[in-house]
Amino acid sequence: MYQYSEQDHQLLLERVEQFRGQVQRRLKGQLSEDEFKQQRLRNGLYLQLHAYMLRVAIPYGLLSAEQMRTLAHIARKYDKGYGHFSTRQNIQYNWPQLEDVPDILDDLAAVEMHAIQTSGNCIRNTTSDPLAGVARDELEDPRPYCELIRQWSTFHPEFNFLPRKFKIAVSGAIHDRAAVAVHDIGLRLVNNAENETGFEIYVGGGLGRTPMIGKLIRDFLPKEDMLTYLEAILRVYNQLGRRDNLYKARIKILVHETGEDEFRALVEEEWQKIKATGLHLREQDIDRIKAFFVDPEYDDLPDTDREFENQILSNPDFARWADKNIELHKQSGYRVVYLSLKSAHQPPGDVTADQMDAIADLADKYSLSQIRTTHRQNLVLSDVKLQDLHALWLELKKLDLATPNYNHMTDIISCPGLDFCALATARSIPISQEITNRFDDYDFVNDLGDLSINISGCINACGHHHVANIGILGVNKKGTEVYQLTLGGSAREDASIGKIIGPAFEADQIVDAVSDVLTVYLDKREDPEETFLTTYRRIGQPPFKEKLYG
Amino acid sequence: MALQVYTASLLKEGLVAYLCLEDGLPSWTPEIGQATAMDDGSVESLKIAAEKSERDNIIVAPYAIDVVNSDGGWVAATKREQIRASGPTIVLPRDNAANASERAGRKAA
Repeated sequence: MYQYSEQDHQLLLERVEQFRGQVQRRLKGQLSEDEFKQQRLRNGLYLQLHAYMLRVAIPYGLLSAEQMRTLAHIARKYDKGYGHFSTRQNIQYNWPQLEDVPDILDDLAAVEMHAIQTSGNCIRNTTSDPLAGVARDELEDPRPYCELIRQWSTFHPEFNFLPRKFKIAVSGAIHDRAAVAVHDIGLRLVNNAENETGFEIYVGGGLGRTPMIGKLIRDFLPKEDMLTYLEAILRVYNQLGRRDNLYKARIKILVHETGEDEFRALVEEEWQKIKATGLHLREQDIDRIKAFFVDPEYDDLPDTDREFENQILSNPDFARWADKNIELHKQSGYRVVYLSLKSAHQPPGDVTADQMDAIADLADKYSLSQIRTTHRQNLVLSDVKLQDLHALWLELKKLDLATPNYNHMTDIISCPGLDFCALATARSIPISQEITNRFDDYDFVNDLGDLSINISGCINACGHHHVANIGILGVNKKGTEVYQLTLGGSAREDASIGKIIGPAFEADQIVDAVSDVLTVYLDKREDPEETFLTTYRRIGQPPFKEKLYG
Repeated sequence: MALQVYTASLLKEGLVAYLCLEDGLPSWTPEIGQATAMDDGSVESLKIAAEKSERDNIIVAPYAIDVVNSDGGWVAATKREQIRASGPTIVLPRDNAANASERAGRKAA
């Protein structure tokens, strides 16, 4: 993974001291809240429903074991003993005290972490494929490009006060595990007809109150032009994006209102101006960053293991977990392991300090001391030997991190909702827990197959409900929490926005409604291999509507 | 006539607090039931006191909320404010007691 230079370290330490001074001046009353708010938001510090909330960046979701231990330490020393992994692959602490935040940032800086640009109208943490560098379907590792974007966008003076926040995702694989299509800019590594590798560029995707799928504005961009092209897009947005209306300020609105072709022409025009003189990436620039992401020295292992096969045959629980939570690895004899943060006992994405420490130990023991976070709020150990899977599973079970549900219906994305968020209008975590408890039946969940349920507690859609196969949106209707159902969304390479099925359901009806939707799917699917999304796209809304509303 | 109390977040801790006004002197409590409630005609005095606390850097972002009387204490009228007053409605993740020692040690320090 990327290692900070002396300059990087100095930058972070100076930033911490700068913020320490700002906090001290705020506590003494030398800065008003209005003055301070912009400063704290630049350092990831929100004031939420019950307390301050600190959002810590995890660049493209990659953590070392040492960093995970520091996150555990922070949770234990400064918070209530846990953290929450978010859909942007970051971690959030829900209870820090203002005067402690500079010390927290100091601890983070010691392990090359920070909270810079995790809030505010700037370029946020670039997200990526949690299987980057190990996926079998990968064309090229996207992380060096994420890191280049991170370095370019951090404190970029021109893009520090954009009309609105700005999110970029990069994927290098055939299958989209980074929700590229619902980002302000999505980059996909592809080959052109000459077999050169470059990027497809999507712009104007996003969720919130106006969900949109990103538009392909360039089908091939040479890698060396990545930063100049991003700069051209952001310049157009910075100049033309609306600043008069918060709800129309995202780039997706600009692209929509300008028109895809016109927007593309504007970007190309801007790009031609800066292409020659801007931050052209030389091959050695890319190679310098790539050197931080070279493959480790994998052992030369066969891709089968007799002991593993015996364990699968003799232990149904292990077999279930292996079937659901293990992915093939590009290296023979290794596997990718998903650590489910979706047990029935904790809110989706939450991890206690003890669990974090234990995960760090497991990463050291079994997975080259690295951990990845996923946009579906799970964790990944990316380099586990086939022969170690059973021992790892036994340890994960003890930690309640071995629920066999990856990419299945109880692998629910949930925003914090009204239990924590100042913007939320309804609770989302209790609904996710009720669904998880109601359908806590492996055979049923397994039979349903690949199926996503996402829940948001307000129209801002932090729970990505628009791109779930079954999306749930909590809203406040005359003082009561009610829940809208959307069907047919997808965040993958076949991305689509789900459609509202009908009137909202009361809190005590929504889980029954989900059950009804599942009943229709099971009844209408052509065979057990036909996924929920395929069935829905084939039969449309009417059968679901009929079941739900009669 | 609707009764209101003033609420805000404590500047240092960020935690939820409610305004008590006794003999014109403001103080802040985490218990909504102990807050001073006034009707529409008198709530201006709460506002003035809350704004003074804000200027004194005790609290952040004060605002008035509707309350109703329940068993002799005040209860927020809306679901949002009820949750804000009583905390998350879910069980927070926690490690076993022995592992809270670092946190406890810090509190004692």
